[in-house]
Formats: sequence, C-alpha cells, structure tokens
Amino acid sequence: MRALERMLFTRVVATPAAIDRAVWPTGALVLRIAQDEVLAAGTVDLGAVPDQHAIVEPETAFCGAWVDHKSGIQFLEHACDWELPAERPAFAQGAVAGIPVKVWFEAERILFLVPVPFVIDFAERWS
Amino acid sequence: MANGSLLTHLLRGEKYPAGGGCLCLAGDCPHCLATVDGIAYVRTCQTPYHEGVSVEPHPESGRLPPPVSLGDRAPVPARSIHCDVVVIGQGPAGRGAADEARDAGQHVVTLESRLGQDAIGIYPGPLVVARTNSGMWHLYPREGIVVATGASEIQPVVPGNDLRGLVTARAAAELTSTGIDLGRVIAVGTPPADVVATTVAGELVRFEPRSGDPRRVGAVVMRDAKGQEQRHECDTVSLGLGLTPRDALLRMARGTNIRGVGDVLLAPDLPPCPSTGVVCPCAGVTVDDLRSVHGRGFRELDLVKRATLAGTGPCQGAVCVPHIRSFLGAQGSDPPASFTARPVTRQLTLGEAAAGAHHAATPRTALDSQHRALGAQMERLGGWWRPWHYGDVDAEYTAVRNGASICDVSTLGKMQISGPDAVALLEHLYPVPIASLAPGRSRYVLLLDERGYVVDDGMVSRDSETRFTLTFTSGGARFAEAWVRDWAESLDCDVRIMNQTMSLGAINVTGPRARDLLALAGVDSPPAFLHHAVATVAGVSARIFRLSFTGEMSFELHHAADDSTDLWQRLLDLGAGLGVRPHGLEALMKLRLEMGHIIVGQDTDFDSTPRRLNHEWAVRLDKPSFVGRAAVVRTNKVSLDRQLCMLEAEGEAPAEGATIWAGDDYAGYVTSSGWSPALGRSVMLGWLRVQPGINAGSAGLPTMVTIDGRPAHRVTTRSFDPEGLRARA
Amino acid sequence: MNEFVERLVDLRWPDHVRPSYDVVIIGGGGHGLATAYYLATRHGITNVAVIEKGYIGSGNSGRNTTIIRANYGIPEAVRFYQHSLEMYGQLEQETGRDLMHATKGLLWIAHSEAGVRQERARAEINTAFGSRTEYVDVKTISEICPQLDMTGQGVWPIYGASYHPAGASARHDRVVWAYAEGAMRLGVHVHQRTTVTGFLRDGDRVTGVQTTAGPIGGGLVVSAVGGHVTTLASMVGLRLPIRTHQLQAFVTNRYAQAFGPIVASSGLGVYVSQTAKGEMLVGAEVDRAPAYAYDSGHSFLRSCAFRSIALLPFLRDLRVLRQWTGVCDMSTDYSPVMGFTGVPNLLVTTGWGTWGFKAIPAGGEQMAALIATGRTPPLIAPFALERFANDRTMADRGSAGTH
Ligand SMILES: Cc1cc2nc3c(=O)[nH]c(=O)nc-3n(C[C@H](O)[C@H](O)[C@H](O)COP(=O)(O)OP(=O)(O)OC[C@H]3O[C@@H](n4cnc5c(N)ncnc54)[C@H](O)[C@@H]3O)c2cc1C
Repeated sequence: MRALERMLFTRVVATPAAIDRAVWPTGALVLRIAQDEVLAAGTVDLGAVPDQHAIVEPETAFCGAWVDHKSGIQFLEHACDWELPAERPAFAQGAVAGIPVKVWFEAERILFLVPVPFVIDFAERWS
Repeated sequence: MANGSLLTHLLRGEKYPAGGGCLCLAGDCPHCLATVDGIAYVRTCQTPYHEGVSVEPHPESGRLPPPVSLGDRAPVPARSIHCDVVVIGQGPAGRGAADEARDAGQHVVTLESRLGQDAIGIYPGPLVVARTNSGMWHLYPREGIVVATGASEIQPVVPGNDLRGLVTARAAAELTSTGIDLGRVIAVGTPPADVVATTVAGELVRFEPRSGDPRRVGAVVMRDAKGQEQRHECDTVSLGLGLTPRDALLRMARGTNIRGVGDVLLAPDLPPCPSTGVVCPCAGVTVDDLRSVHGRGFRELDLVKRATLAGTGPCQGAVCVPHIRSFLGAQGSDPPASFTARPVTRQLTLGEAAAGAHHAATPRTALDSQHRALGAQMERLGGWWRPWHYGDVDAEYTAVRNGASICDVSTLGKMQISGPDAVALLEHLYPVPIASLAPGRSRYVLLLDERGYVVDDGMVSRDSETRFTLTFTSGGARFAEAWVRDWAESLDCDVRIMNQTMSLGAINVTGPRARDLLALAGVDSPPAFLHHAVATVAGVSARIFRLSFTGEMSFELHHAADDSTDLWQRLLDLGAGLGVRPHGLEALMKLRLEMGHIIVGQDTDFDSTPRRLNHEWAVRLDKPSFVGRAAVVRTNKVSLDRQLCMLEAEGEAPAEGATIWAGDDYAGYVTSSGWSPALGRSVMLGWLRVQPGINAGSAGLPTMVTIDGRPAHRVTTRSFDPEGLRARA
Repeated sequence: MNEFVERLVDLRWPDHVRPSYDVVIIGGGGHGLATAYYLATRHGITNVAVIEKGYIGSGNSGRNTTIIRANYGIPEAVRFYQHSLEMYGQLEQETGRDLMHATKGLLWIAHSEAGVRQERARAEINTAFGSRTEYVDVKTISEICPQLDMTGQGVWPIYGASYHPAGASARHDRVVWAYAEGAMRLGVHVHQRTTVTGFLRDGDRVTGVQTTAGPIGGGLVVSAVGGHVTTLASMVGLRLPIRTHQLQAFVTNRYAQAFGPIVASSGLGVYVSQTAKGEMLVGAEVDRAPAYAYDSGHSFLRSCAFRSIALLPFLRDLRVLRQWTGVCDMSTDYSPVMGFTGVPNLLVTTGWGTWGFKAIPAGGEQMAALIATGRTPPLIAPFALERFANDRTMADRGSAGTH
C-alpha cells in the first residue's frame, strides 16, 4: 500500500438532528462515524452546524491511504471479521487486522483511515 | 481428491499408517492417524496425497508423539465470508440442499471434508469455522446452516479388532472402486456395494490373525443361530454394522437457524452389547474396563467416560459411544444420549486456530520517534509505549527539580463535554462541586464507582458555562469514556461528548524555570495555579493547564497531535540555554513520590475507598449526591481497616512489593518506593493495616515499622515542600 | 492397558432419600462433597445429604484446569491456600486413592516493568506467609522452561518471573470421586440427578429444600452450587456480591511428556501446562470488566491459541482436541465467601470463581468445622460474607480472575 499520510479533518459532535441538517463543504469527504459525530475533510465552520453546543475541533490524528479497489478488498477479506458493505460509496469502521480503522469505499478505490498511534503497526500488518 | 487420499496411496503400497483397526475412510475412526509432514494426529484418509509427503506412523501403543513444531512460518491465512447459507457436507443430501438454496437465489458456501474442508465447530453468531487446506474460513451465514454430515459406520468391538484388513462396508466399496484389491472379502452385516464378497450371517465373535502375519486378519469367527462358532478365512473383512448420525454440529448449534438433512437425522443404530475386546481404541479402553467401573458405581455415560477416558481421544467418541450406550442399556439403564457436543469436531493445529488473530497493538504517541531518536528506553505503561528514561535518570530528575524539563504526557485521557446538562452530569460523576468551578479554573478529581471505590483520577477544567475539558489517567481513559457515556445516557443528559485522547498531544513543561521556558516560547503571562488558558506556544496553538504532578511549577500544553513534533523540538531548542531536557517515567515516578502523589492502579487496589487512600479531602460529602456517595457514607460508619500511607527510611529504597512489619505483625506492603535525592533518604507509599494496640499511632496505624529488615516510619505530612509552594510559585 | 482407568474408587449410592438430614448440602462439586467428607471423617456427622442436579463433578469441579498453588496476594489468602496445597499433598495417602497429584512448579511471567513489580510483590508476600515463591531472572526462567520464547515473538519479551516450586496439579474428577466415595462409605447420601428448586422455610429459618425428588428436611442447609449460587440465593431473598462469568479452556491431543512446569502470563492472559495424560492444557484469565469478557467460543479459541504460541512457539503445530466453558461464581474482591449468610440455617461456600479447585480440601475441612462447631474457624474468618457490609473486603490481586 502507499504510505499512510496525515489527513486534515474537522471533527464535529452535535445532536443527531443538527448533524442531519448541517451544511458540509461541497464535494468534501464527510464520514458519519456515530449518530452524533462526523469526520469531515477540510474545515467546517461552527456556524454550519445548527447546534449551539456542538463541539467542532480540527482533527489531525488520522493518517490515510487510498488503495485500488481490488487490493483493498483482498486485504479486508483476510483482515476483518465484519461484513463489507455492498453498496458504493459506503463507509465502515471496525477492527482491521486488530486495529481500529475507518474505511471509505468508492467504486474504484478505497480509503483507509488509521489513528496515528497505530500507523506503524497497521503498516506492518498490511505488508 | 484428485490424487486420491494419502491413506489409499499408502494402502496401495501395503502400508498402514497406524497399527491396525477397522478403517472407515470417512474421518471418523482413529485408525489412519499418522504424523504427516511433521504434524501428528493427521487423518490420512482425509488428506490429499501429494508428491514428497512424509508419513510417519505414531509410536507404538502406549507411547505418544513428541510435542514439537515445524518452527516459525508465515501465519495461516484466515478469510471471513458473509453468505446466506452454509451447507456442511456435500453428499447427495448436502448437494441437494445447496442446489435448492442456490436456485432460490441465495449465496451458498459449501464444505466437504473430502475436499479438505472441515467444519470444526458452530459458534454463536452463528459462525461456522472451517479448516481448509488453504487456510481458515470464518463463515457468517445470514439465513441458516444446513448440516448434511451423514452418518458414521459402527465399528466392531470383539477381540482382534485391532488387526489390519478390517474395513467398514463403505470403505470396502470405496477402496474397491479406487482399484485396490481387497482379496477374499467376507462381509459381516450389510454387504458393501459393488464388491465381490461372501456374506456371512450370525453374531460376530472375533477376528483371528493370519498365520505368518500376526498383525493381519486371517479369518473371522461368527456364531450362528444354533450357537456354533463358524470360522471364515479371508483377506479382508467388510463390516456393515449399522450407522450413527454424525450430529455433533447439529447438537452444538442448538438455538440457531440450523437444520439437518439426510443421514445425519437417522436414529442411531444400537450395536449388540459388547462382551469383550477394545471399545475405545484412542484410550485403549476394554469392555472389562467398562464392567469394572460400572460395577463400582460409575453408571452414567459421562461418569463412565470420565472414569475410563473412553471417548476423550482424537475420534471424540465416534468409535466407542455406540458401544458404551449399548453396554449401559444392557445393564438396565436407558441408553443415554451422547456426550455434550463441543468444538472442535474436526481437529486443527493451534497455528490454524490462531489464524486471523493479532497481538493487541500498543499505541504510540506522536512523539514516539523523537523519544527513540533521543535514545529512550521505551516501555509499555498504562497501555502505551512510553519513554522510561533517556539514559540518565538522575539528570532528568535534577532538570525538573532545579531547572526545567519536558515530558510527553500525550497518553492522558482527554475529553470535551459540552451542553446544557454538562454541569449536572459532572456534578453527578464527581465527588467535588462542579457548578462553583469558574470558567478558566481546573480541579483535581477522583472517579468513584457505585461501591465507593476509586477507579481513576484526573482533572476537570471549565472552559465556559456549558463546556468542560476532562482528563483521565492513561490506563484509565478507556474505562472512563465508557463511564461518562453510560452515565450521560442513563441520566438522559443533554450533552455532547468528544473523546480527544488520540487527537491531542500533551507536553508537560515543569521545573522552577518552566515559566522562563514558556517566556522563551512567547508566552508572557501563563495561567496561575489550577487555571488554564489558550495561547500560542512557540508558534503552536495550545491550551495551557497549570497543575502539578512533579511538585514543581508545571504547564501542561494540549495541542493538535500533528503539532507535537514541532512543539517538542522547539521547546528543546529554545530551552537549550536553560538546560532543558526531557524526562521519562522513571524520573517522574520518583518526583511524584516525593510529593506523595498516588498512581491509580499502582498504589490503589480494586477496593480502595477515598478514606483508605487518605484522600477524603477529595470527596465532599456535603454534596447531596454523586456516584459512590451512598457507599462512602455507609463505609465511613465502620472503622478503618487499612490505609495508604507515606513512609520514609534511611538508606537505599526497599523493593516495591516489600512487606511491612510492625514488630512481628504483618502491617502491609510497599506499593511505590524510591530514593529521594531531595531528602537524602527513601520515600515510599504503602498499605498499612490498622492494628489497635501494637505500636500504634492515634488512628491505629503503626508509626515505626520494619521494611526489608530496616526501620522505617510513617509520615503524615510529606517532608518535601509540605505546603506545596513550589507548584504554586 | 489404559493406566488412566479409575480402578479403585467404589461409589456406593444410596437407594432411598430420607425425609430429612442433619445437614443438606446443595451441589455435588468438589466443595459440597469435601464438606460432606470432612463432616463424616472429622466430626462424625454422617446424617448428611449432598444433592446434585447432574452427576457429581459435572460443574466446574470437572471442568477446571486443575492448578493448585498458594501464591496469592494477601496474607489471609496465602495462609488458606497454602494449607489447602499441603492437604492436597496428603490427600492420596488419606483417601488411599490415586489422584494423579504432581508437583510441577509454577512460573508466572512478567513482560513489563509493571509485571516485574507485581511478581516481586508476589514473591515477597508468599514467602513471608509460608509459601515459598522467588523472583527469578531470564536465565533461570529458560532453565526451568526451555520452550519459552524469551522474546515473546519480539512483541512480549520476558523480563522476569516469580517461581512457585510447590505449584501442582491433580486429576479433577478423581478428587471429586475420592471425596464422594469417602463420604458415602461413612453413610453420607449423595443423590445425583436431583435438582433443588426452592427452600423450605419456617418464618425466616430455612428448614430444608424443595427438590425434583420432593421436599427434603435439613437441620442446616449449605449451598455449594458454583456458578448457580445467585439464582439459588435469590430464592430466599439473599443478595450476594457474586457475578457470574464464563471461563474457557482447551486441550490438545496427547503428546509425550516434555513440558514440566505450569507457565502463566498475565501480560498475555494465558496459562499452559501438560496433563498427566500428555495433553497440553491452555486456560485464560477472566477479564475484570464483564463488558470486555471474551464472547464464548471461537474468539476465545483463536486469541488464546495465538497468545499461547507467542509464549510457547512449540504449540503451533499441536492439534486442538476440545474446548469447553464453565460458569464461575466471581466475588467482587476475588476472594471466596464462606460461612453464615444472615438467613438462619443457611450457609454458603462460594466465590470460588476461576480459582476454587485448589481450595477444595481446605474449603471442605473448614466448612465442616464451622458446621460442626457453629463457630467460624480463624483460617476462614476473613472470608465471611459480612465483610462486604463491614468494609472488610479482601481484594486479592494474586487471585484476580485466573487459575
Ligand atoms: C475453565 C476453568 C478452569 C479453571 N481452572 C482452575 C484451576 O486451574 N485451579 C483452580 O483452583 N480452580 C480453577 N477453576 C475454578 C474451579 O473449577 C471452581 O472454583 C471449583 O471447581 C468450584 O467447585 P464447587 O464445588 O464450588 O462448584 P462446582 O464444581 O461447579 O459444583 C457445583 C455443583 O452444584 C450443582 N448444582 C447447581 N445448582 C444446583 C441445584 N439447584 N440443585 C442441585 N445441584 C445444583 C452443579 O450441577 C454442580 O455440580 C477453573 C474453572 C473453570 C471453569
């Protein structure tokens, strides 16, 4: 796999309703990682999230790597117990090779997002 | 199997893998086990033949194969397959079930032992685990499981059943069809299909060896209707003695959507009650053994099994259970059901069982490579890789006490809480007042569980009316997050919770000259003790928390994780003139010990109340409610039994874990211990038992004690900076 | 001939159920049967029934990994388990039965600085209370157990260990049978396939049990039902500080004897020994937080096999034969609970969790003494139920949810 590189996100925790109604940067990758939490590529204004108590913070602790669809799936089939989503695009998260990873599936390619503290272990387990 | 099985290959060469016994060719009996390519207990009838394969017979009976491994190799691959239906067994019934499901548009995965695919168990999930020649499969069927594993053939239990030349009827048919010449075949019971054989009637009495080859069958003796023994000479005996369903998987998976098809649903045939001979070839149990234990009160199937070990060998009772049932039935008890079915139904190596497993990965902070580059000895502490020291603990200590030093504390649990109910939630969680904490202030907190036991500690900092930052210990952070979220949910609090443990780095700047270092980094008026503020430090945006664990003036700088390396390096560069150097955990342990600060986990036990920890000051019982309050109130009514105390001794530090004695009485043990350069003696934390009467101070705690044969004494106030002036400087 | 066939024990089952007994013991596991045995042999109390819903030893006493050790973490526990360990050493002679008792030595491996601290502390406290344990360095470790991978696959290097030479094992079933036989020979009734479904009461007092074979009166009733104790206690409105956790284990096929000691690792959460039959026996630690408990079955087997290979690489190519589960009565301070319950005439012996096989002789002996005299013997006084109400809990890190 290509080297995992630091990616800049904005992390938002807000009420589920506010997250539903928030205005995300157009064309940006927006991952709903929990009912009340989103990881969005790039920067998000506080004002874009209609919840005055929302927590909006830059998130720099993920490294990511895009890989071609085929080799990504091949790796995942051997590295996780959970069922891969069938539709595209799709988001999934869980243990991959024993490490908590977020995965974004597009038709042609797959993005692996790994928390920085586990990047070295993940890269070792990928090879 | 394209090349045929290893067993047929061996038999063609007149070789027998094991001593003898009735071969089944179906993976049920233990008679074809051998060490194949270095792995013992392999069923040669289920293993495809390949060029160059090495087969060694197991040692003669009574001796066992050595426990050895082939050595380090690539791990066995594992695959997870999510499908609709798993069909186990591809005989006629299994094929039919698979076709039917496929016709209905379902995604079907089939398993067939003869293709080297053994289901080893069905687990909750449901999860069907299969061992295959190309690795492990973990199958997750959404719709259901079809078990079509068929039935095994009953083995003969009469004298001579360990001879060679005995085969089950199905095995006789199969061997013949693969072109193996069985010679003169005598068929007992159901005759084999498409095999030229003489079928003999009557009751099976014994097998007799051939003259000239005592290990091979020469004749079979039957008893006819008139009670006469009839001897039939032969080369091979085919035994069609009835069927027992191979239903272990079916029984194992009760409660899941599972059904059997075909022979696996047959009612088991009951063979005649055995009268003599080996019943359990795996463990060498005879009918006499059964009689012997039965006569001494072992009357149930399970007790017979445990008393003889019948059924505990590699065939898992496939051979012996029908006969033991029959035996017990003949003694007047109902023929009992079989043993409980447990995985594994087919064997696999530990290496195979481990396929797909990984070591728990130990996280590293963003500064990991900086520490290693500085020559740090890294240790797993609190669940993270952390620098234990950088080669010179004394210098690290001195830098903190006399100058300025930095420490990577990124591993601390960090959490933000925001919302209208943030105050209410934290008031409930913590045993100190929260509402009165002003924005910009921080407070030390204990976390208690409902039993009033301390489970973690940390800081609460208020950012605004409705927003707080919480920190927890490195090792306690995972628990603490679950704890906060659980309470928020069960109290139905309107709050937002963001765990930032991994998102933020944290560097502690500590020492009497810490303020000077911050000034060099561009911070002119850092926050006062127990205050916090946002600032730019050496070009990095950070929140500065002023607290102290080392006892010196300390500023904890929380910042975005990707700024960690810049901040770290700039602090070192800027502080070069001040002699700034990083300190590791070993120095930190000593620094905090001089201050009497506890480490939850190391100094606490899992039933440590605030009172036992001498931390009652951190609990405000005038608060009407908080988690653990009722328990604290209740236990406070009872006298104290032990307490974590500070101790001091002259001379070098006793080992952590050393026992503490008050005269001849055990008084407790040391939890933390270290030489204090500041005091010129050793300082410790340790548990002391309340022992009224003996050498006791006012609280019933001993004052003078012995540790490692040397005198030591309890101190009620720490000797180093008792007023805590240095931290507040 | 199979040397493992039990050739001596003679179980003389009763042919009737009496309407009442002086003592009714619920549960025919090791603790229930040993209590009956010592009542009969030490105190002449033989009008005793043991009521077992399955067959004797069908609970945890027939499912455990049979490790006997006294290297616990608090003086009260070290004393108690040391006494039990010594009783085990005499038990073959006392009962005249071959219990396959063998002293093997137990290594408890540390893979970190924190682990070293823990093992040093264990050695200190054990030795101080009469149960020798020493801290040993890596060289000694590899002499005691050459098969260990001292680098832990490069991931879990071995720093040191505590070594407890008296660590032993015995065949679990044979212990159960020896006690059952000895008790029945002196007239104790053991009723198998009889389930206790409720209690007979006279006001607060328990006066007997309701069973699938009808009511049975009892002067005293003792609960010794292992993992089922909370259900039983709730029938008299008694709440116990016990939680039920699963514990699993697996064995391989039989191999030639080549592995002498018992090896445990807290860092890896596994322990390994070789049985007298030659099987390699692998067990695990119970996770302290129930939320993180292994889900049953496959993930246990997979992760435990994986971790044991990291410790002992030779296990890789051995073949797994069978895995199983027991349900353990875990007390919240990891120490046992023995004695009076506050409900008149009802006693318990519980909280044996994942560690109670080694305690069967001393547990039975002490419970019998308590029943016979009506007073709690000093050895088990610290383990009374009332300690939870009195804030005298016995937190024991040396126990902490493992063998
Ligand atoms: C996998 C595993 C490994 C272990 N390893 C070790 C070890 O290495 N060393 C060690 O010291 N300990 C070990 N233990 C713990 C040990 O097995 C137990 O603590 C001990 O066996 C408890 O004995 P007991 O008599 O209290 O309970 P049990 O043996 O469980 O006996 C209780 C009996 O009560 C019966 N019963 C339940 N309810 C009723 C009812 N209503 N009516 C009638 N009868 C009833 C049950 O059928 C059962 O037979 C292990 C446990 C497990 C599960």
